[in-house]
Amino acid sequence: MTLQEQPAIRVMVVDDHPMWRDAVSRDLADAGFEVVAAVGEGTQAMQIAAAVRPDVVALDLQLPDVPGVDVTRGILASFPPARVLILSASGEHRDVLDAVKAGAAGYILKSASRAEFLDAVRRTAAGEPVFSPGLAGLVLGEFRRLAASPAPDTPRLTEREAEILQMVGTGLSYRQIADRLVLSHRTVQNHVQNTLTKLQLHNRVDLVRYAIEHGLGSDRP
Amino acid sequence: MAVVSLQAPLWRSIAAFRFASLGYAAILLVIRHDKYAHWGWAWAVLAGMTTWTIVSTAAYAVPERRTRSLLAADVIITSAAVLSTALVQYANSTRIGVMPVTATWLAGPALAWAVVGGATAGAAAAMVIGGCSVLLRGGFQGTALDGPIILLMAAVLVGYISTLTARAEQALQRATEIEAASRERERLARTIHDSVLQVLAMVQRRGAEAGGAAAEIGRLAGEQEAALRALVTGGGQVLSLAGELDLSAILVGEASPQVSVVTPAEPVLLAQRAAEETAAAVRAAIDNVRRHCGDSAKAWVLVDDEGAEVSVTIRDDGPGVSPGRLAEAAAEGRLGVTHAICGRIRDLGGSADIDSTPGVGTEVRLRVPRSSARP
Repeated sequence: MTLQEQPAIRVMVVDDHPMWRDAVSRDLADAGFEVVAAVGEGTQAMQIAAAVRPDVVALDLQLPDVPGVDVTRGILASFPPARVLILSASGEHRDVLDAVKAGAAGYILKSASRAEFLDAVRRTAAGEPVFSPGLAGLVLGEFRRLAASPAPDTPRLTEREAEILQMVGTGLSYRQIADRLVLSHRTVQNHVQNTLTKLQLHNRVDLVRYAIEHGLGSDRP
Repeated sequence: MAVVSLQAPLWRSIAAFRFASLGYAAILLVIRHDKYAHWGWAWAVLAGMTTWTIVSTAAYAVPERRTRSLLAADVIITSAAVLSTALVQYANSTRIGVMPVTATWLAGPALAWAVVGGATAGAAAAMVIGGCSVLLRGGFQGTALDGPIILLMAAVLVGYISTLTARAEQALQRATEIEAASRERERLARTIHDSVLQVLAMVQRRGAEAGGAAAEIGRLAGEQEAALRALVTGGGQVLSLAGELDLSAILVGEASPQVSVVTPAEPVLLAQRAAEETAAAVRAAIDNVRRHCGDSAKAWVLVDDEGAEVSVTIRDDGPGVSPGRLAEAAAEGRLGVTHAICGRIRDLGGSADIDSTPGVGTEVRLRVPRSSARP
């Protein structure tokens, strides 16, 4: 490992269970990551994000004070370079999807092994989307739902993107998908990232439209 | 009380009736002034009635003031007003059926009793006041009974309605309480489930790392975690009003540490038979993975709702079979897979493709149309 030569990846852990907070922090520290903060509340996480400047935020969606979606949005608003990796035990579908639409970069279940988790943090820091099969299914489902909408600016999946999401959803790795489709690993990754970007962009446009319709963005009182 | 009172409108109608009938009594007093021996005193009675109408309406408006003494006073004062007719009206006029000074105002207490105590209480008050009216007329002859009987019927009817609204009010109150309680229970369950899932996931992870006997404990925790998560996210299989089932909710029940079930966030509704048959086909495919690839093989089930059709892909990372083998098996009459999977889906008007590559695994893709499922 060349971790000593380059600056260590800075991680903030947000989890209300002390047991998990400690275990995750220890695993990260042992693997050479720098745990810049470990907090148990969403409000606190949003307050200190800009000060501790994390590369990756490992975020449990079920926090006692603020919904995980809002924490995701709040952290990204106060410190945009952060990448949020959702770490969830229950896998509440709607919550995960909303957090991803709000800008989370990836999602894994807590039951994933330590190696899978550390790999996910590493990939998130490198800007790769961490698409568990579960997340692929949610994103695919969201595009299918949007496809029924008549609005002209709703995001659509290309055939290729749909094909790739289906493959991720059935547990194939990017490598395996690249082999099957005779594409480069990088291209597969880009396709996956694209689907996520489209959803997040659409979500932001929706929010802005909502704000304008309700007069929040106008200059007039 | 959190629930809006359903009896309040009844009290408002009684108040309106009292004031309206008071006006009617005043008009009658003007028109029939020639029937009164002491017209001035008749106006004095009317003034008393007016005072009592205002006092009683104000009192009845507040539930706590609807006491037995108020109700008793209502009947006594009204009866007195009815009987005072004998002192102010010509006896002759009274006997031939001229309305008493109170006119229809005398019905007030009977209605109030009915609302408070139901039909029986209403009838009792109606009989007391009706009795005074009969007494005034000096017997049961002629039309003397008409008024009291209409009063009795009105009181019984209002009493019956009042009992019904009281019962509805209780039911509504109970429903509101139950709803609040179940919301609270749901909230608690979510928190508890999350905590339990956290612990199970932790045991699974630690067990797997420790190895040996701990690995077995970890494996068991993993199974329970998958089962509980399926329960929480599946939320039971409820038949919708249109007779549809959520295919996702059925299939998450198949999740285990070896089998990942991947679904959209929204329910995937299919006609009951189509959902059940598709789920049975998926189960057959998963059993097949167990039988041919052993317990360690992983499988993924992806539910994709494409609108016009629903596709379910079951992929495993087992050894796979050569394409000819399935056809061979079918030709030899070993129809297990083909029949259990393809047969069911074809009956639903859909299609099933089995794609297997030695060394890579097997992929079964089911496509079920939404509309054309044969009845």
